[in-house]
Amino acid sequence: MNVREYEITIGPTGEVELHIDGIKGKGCLEVVKLFESLVGEVREVRHTSAFYEPDDDVVIRNEQHH
Amino acid sequence: MSAVAVFAPIVIASWPALGAAVASAATSLGFSLADQAFDSANQNQNTETTQRVDLEIPGSEVVLGTLGRDQRIRLVRDGVEATFARDARGRASVCVTGEGYSEEVLRQIGEELSGRMVQHYVLQKLKSELDARGMNLVEETVDENQAIRLRVRHWQN
Repeated sequence: MNVREYEITIGPTGEVELHIDGIKGKGCLEVVKLFESLVGEVREVRHTSAFYEPDDDVVIRNEQHH
Repeated sequence: MSAVAVFAPIVIASWPALGAAVASAATSLGFSLADQAFDSANQNQNTETTQRVDLEIPGSEVVLGTLGRDQRIRLVRDGVEATFARDARGRASVCVTGEGYSEEVLRQIGEELSGRMVQHYVLQKLKSELDARGMNLVEETVDENQAIRLRVRHWQN
């Protein structure tokens, strides 16, 4: 079972900053879309290094042929 | 961490939902609720020494439901009166009046109130929607800048 953690900061004027943790790859874009539908317009998205790692459900298989 | 995203709020709600946010914001800023007026006749009387500032809440839309078109919520604090209402274009607006207060001060009060109302609306909406999606609210705090921080966990198979 995977756990995703979100840290949400709602500023005094209602602006929302969302920190997404525990999601590798582009899965976090789905979370951004969800919050966009709940809160409003996306102003900015900054990806961290984990964003560029393979998605959680991607399997990488190495084979060596002689 | 995977990403950081910033959102500008859009407030589209029925009057009861906005009313709850107004009440919550009022409490956090030390305002008291006056009576809710159901007709447009119940407005503040302007005198020569009473300043008045009208502010529209950006990105807002009040959806008409079964309640009266002219419903308003009045808040009072230290001789300042702030009235939230739906304007003719369907946007939420706040009118701030106060005898002996400058226009600048009233504007600051109005902007703080309307900002706090939007903050509380977003908070209520997020809490209810995230709960409906099976997410757990682990922590809720208010920092020194009056920003509300939520920590949410979502378990997935």
